[in-house]
Amino acid sequence: MSESAKTDQLRLGFMETIEVEGRGHIGGLLITNQNGRPLEFQCTTPVRPNRTQEILFGETLKPWLLGELIGSTLLDRVAIKPSLVVTSDPCLLELRNHTHVPIAVAESAEGEQGGTTGRRGIPAGGEAENRKLQLGGSMLRFHEAHHGDVDSLQKQKHLIPDSADLQEPLERVREALAETVRTVFAR
Amino acid sequence: MDAAGINFESGDNGGGVSESDGGMLLPQRPELLQTGFNPALSRMPAPDTICSTLDLPLDFVPCWTPRRIPLRCIGLTLPEGVEFLSPAPPKPALPVDAPKAAAKSAEESGDGEQPKKKVTRLQPPPDALSLQDRLFYLLQPPLESWLAGQELIMPFEPFSYQYEGIAWLFSSQSALLADEMGLGKTMQTITAIRLLLRSGQARRILLICPKPLIPNWQREFKTWAEELPVVVMEGNGVRRRMLWTMPGVPILIANYELMTRDLAEISEEEQPKFDLLVLDEAQRIKNRESNTALTARAIKRRRSWALTGTPIENRPEELGALFEFMEVIPKGGSPDLRQLSRLAKKYILRRTKDLVMKDMPPRIDRDAELELTDAQESAYRIAEKEGVIQLNDLGDSITVQHVFELVLRLKQIANYDPLTGESAKLERLQADMEEIAASGGKAILFSQWTKTIDWLEPRLKEFNPLIYHGGVPTKQREPILAKFKQDPKAHILLMSYGTGAVGLNLQFAGYVFLFDRWWNPAIEDQAVNRAHRIGVKNQVIVTRFISRNTIEERIDRVLREKRELFEMVLGEGDNNNRSLSLSASEIFGLFDLKARHKDGARSIGPKPVAAGGEAA
Repeated sequence: MSESAKTDQLRLGFMETIEVEGRGHIGGLLITNQNGRPLEFQCTTPVRPNRTQEILFGETLKPWLLGELIGSTLLDRVAIKPSLVVTSDPCLLELRNHTHVPIAVAESAEGEQGGTTGRRGIPAGGEAENRKLQLGGSMLRFHEAHHGDVDSLQKQKHLIPDSADLQEPLERVREALAETVRTVFAR
Repeated sequence: MDAAGINFESGDNGGGVSESDGGMLLPQRPELLQTGFNPALSRMPAPDTICSTLDLPLDFVPCWTPRRIPLRCIGLTLPEGVEFLSPAPPKPALPVDAPKAAAKSAEESGDGEQPKKKVTRLQPPPDALSLQDRLFYLLQPPLESWLAGQELIMPFEPFSYQYEGIAWLFSSQSALLADEMGLGKTMQTITAIRLLLRSGQARRILLICPKPLIPNWQREFKTWAEELPVVVMEGNGVRRRMLWTMPGVPILIANYELMTRDLAEISEEEQPKFDLLVLDEAQRIKNRESNTALTARAIKRRRSWALTGTPIENRPEELGALFEFMEVIPKGGSPDLRQLSRLAKKYILRRTKDLVMKDMPPRIDRDAELELTDAQESAYRIAEKEGVIQLNDLGDSITVQHVFELVLRLKQIANYDPLTGESAKLERLQADMEEIAASGGKAILFSQWTKTIDWLEPRLKEFNPLIYHGGVPTKQREPILAKFKQDPKAHILLMSYGTGAVGLNLQFAGYVFLFDRWWNPAIEDQAVNRAHRIGVKNQVIVTRFISRNTIEERIDRVLREKRELFEMVLGEGDNNNRSLSLSASEIFGLFDLKARHKDGARSIGPKPVAAGGEAA
């Protein structure tokens, strides 16, 4: 848990990446307060792996590219450090291995009821259940190697209204990234 | 093997070390020169063993280390909003339950709209060029969640068109909100102001309105944004001067007269600056050269919003004055109709009840065109003939007042014949009321004259009529309205346009009769809006009585022609036209008036103009 987190306020990070054809991936991180009001936004320039990286990283290329490279850069750059980073992309969970900030994949809470397999292939039930936390209207899945994340967020869970939709800000980030691509590449 | 571990393939001399010995074989056999050393070379070496540590680095190690590719970032820090203390004690609706509470409140209040799934996202204004400016709007939460009680508690859930209006205002530097009356311009403005303050886009806001409306604005601010401190410009000159220049007042409300008077006395250097200037009833500045308009335009501000239900009262050119205030045309600019129409699309947001029909049960207008009874017809023709003769005799001394008097006399006869009491309108009204009363419905009837209302009352006894006009003492008015609402036998409320057209909520009445026509459709609309307003649950049927071949038909035709002109500017869908008063020339035009001279006759009265003149 970030040291910047206070007991009466929660800074949330929402991170998404998009692929721009022919240019590579760009990532964006939106920091909001616990009510979703935006405080800061950072996005990266596009990055594209070269052939050597594609061969050597193999299946780990995307987690490295999106999580370690783009995600770490964004987290380093934001002035307001979040207490939690939410994303829709499981590849970004890799970022958790390079930061002390909990990273979680947000999924619809309704869609999780009774399911044996979560979205994007993340297994549900058993061990996976131990790293899930319902926050607002979303079910958050945390990195399997960081068991303490769920427990630490439980203490601040009350700061997030039950009506909060933690997936909605991700849409804002995607729109902002698309707008950035349109504006910057049109120049 | 030598120390370097290199062996040569020995071939026929048999002195080499095979590959199996662990040495490396060179692919080519070296050519040996015949010298005295050759035998020595063919002798097997006698290696000696020494101990040595392996501390030499390898000459070449193929390696690849993943390097952190430096990435550049584009950053945006959003401005800190102004924090306000929540009104204490906290509302029972905790954030968790706020959306449900808001929805429930709306239901209880009679608004009856179910919470919508629709999401209203803020869009960057078209003239926002910088990426940072555009991202600011895109990164804001949808209005529905912003106002859902997580941070800002709304007493009632806004309608979807109101969300759109709030989002439009929030993103606009220059805006004219011209919604039809009753659609919530005040609430949309207050909420947009609230969001601007909360998001740090504005810190000092000036709202100018007519003096009688100040209590209304205070009340609305209390309802929709309780946490916002509102200061009303009042008191003596010293206090007002202090208020004008005092920083840290988020919202200042002043009336037009004080704005004009006070700001004239403040030096140029001390003139206050505002992030937003809102003009309510902005038609007040339609005369560009008036002190009010000049003062309003001179106020230093970053955003300019105008509010009015009647952006055009008489001439489309009046929009030019509003556009000049909004700084979307140059000073003194006179856009033509096409330019006005283009500017209107960009800077005016106007919704009529027709356009937001999905949020409100429909209003059904029907014209009841009636033939006068014989007695009425006879009385009408005599009065018209004599009246026109008298007007012609007046020649150039004729005034609009003279014509007006004749119009009034003819309209009264169209209501009922004063001698015989015959009335085609009454016959139709009684027939309609029988049906309405039989179904337990309620109706409101409007007339221009209290005399007509008093005449109608005994003739509608079976429907238990109630009277509400200027002749009724103020103290008795509220009980009359309460009785009309609660008494199931009271089926009709007879009201005058002057007293009953504004400020009353009579959504429970499903029928409205306009017994005679007012000069101005805006007043008629105000009257109809008593019944057809937010909260109405069923359709409202509006019946306008028009006597055929009478002055009423001619007035109706003139007003319809004017509407077509205004639709060109404000766009289609603006069926319920605003304050399109009859001009003096149009009133003269209702009769073919000619002054007689020795050499013939010529038309008298002001020449008609396309759309202009003094309103009636």
